[in-house]
Amino acid sequence: MTTTIIKTTTKILTPLILVFGSYIILHGHLTPGGGFQGGAVFASGLALLIVANKYETIKTLFEKVPLSVFESIGALGFLGMACLGFAGYTFFKNVIANSGFPIFGGKTPVGINPGYLNTGGTLSYMNIFVGIKVLAGLTSIVLIFFLIMRRERDEW
Amino acid sequence: MNFMEFFWILQVLIGIGLLISAIVAIRFKNLIMAVIAMAVFSLILSLEFYVLQAPDVAIAEAGVGACLTTAMYLLAIKNTTDEEVIE
Amino acid sequence: MRTSLGLLAFIGFTLFLLAAMISLRPFGEPPHREMDDWFITHAQIEASANNVVTSIVFDYRGFDTLGEATVLFTAVSGVLMVLRRHKKEVKG
Repeated sequence: MTTTIIKTTTKILTPLILVFGSYIILHGHLTPGGGFQGGAVFASGLALLIVANKYETIKTLFEKVPLSVFESIGALGFLGMACLGFAGYTFFKNVIANSGFPIFGGKTPVGINPGYLNTGGTLSYMNIFVGIKVLAGLTSIVLIFFLIMRRERDEW
Repeated sequence: MNFMEFFWILQVLIGIGLLISAIVAIRFKNLIMAVIAMAVFSLILSLEFYVLQAPDVAIAEAGVGACLTTAMYLLAIKNTTDEEVIE
Repeated sequence: MRTSLGLLAFIGFTLFLLAAMISLRPFGEPPHREMDDWFITHAQIEASANNVVTSIVFDYRGFDTLGEATVLFTAVSGVLMVLRRHKKEVKG
């Protein structure tokens, strides 16, 4: 499955899909989409990269990427962001929003507005952590399906 | 053509497309063709979600249903035999 | 015998689905609107995000998202546990 047409198409399409997935994750509190959707789009771009390349290339490329560490970082970060609400409030309380924190802590305008990226509080952090978790999990499933492939049928 | 006529024509076309792709995915004996028909089914279903004003579900369906499960099924078929065994 | 039974089941299921489709409410008019109106008017003040779906998923119904993350983690660890090799060459 590694013909020249597929390789060229993948080389052009993969950066666009990855940028679109990152955009959906980062703008989760403003536009449709969120952590799960953006992570799924990002993982589909990585799956395109995995399917369209040779076995040895993928193996040497993904040996240095700690996907299980990403998965754990996503789960623990999500729980930690939820536990931040214990500082005076309840679990899952949005404490960073409207507090003047420099990242994602700006004042949210009420009513119809164009949408400012520096708002959202813990929702934006939760979007990013869930996105990291989903992309690591789905990519590792596709990667393990690819890596258990028998060597003698590698031509296809 | 006003908006409601376009909406109902689109609904009928999406229904016919869903039915045809589902029947094709069931009836084909070549497994790779069946998997591609399932990807087409997921893509038409995500278009239906978008028409019904649920863009979140449309993005999730297009990402997971049309790309990731197709890649998983293709890799699983590649790990086993290509043709369905008929006895 | 099996064909007639299957045909009977097909006709019955089709009639059930047609009855369910006829008794649907019109598009965009759910039976209870009070909670939807509360979320639409108050989500921007209470959860401070423009996207109402995100504020419901991560703020009002946060425990649902926590359970979904747990389900995904369990699924991934199960797949990796079943399909791993016993040599030290696969890192996933």
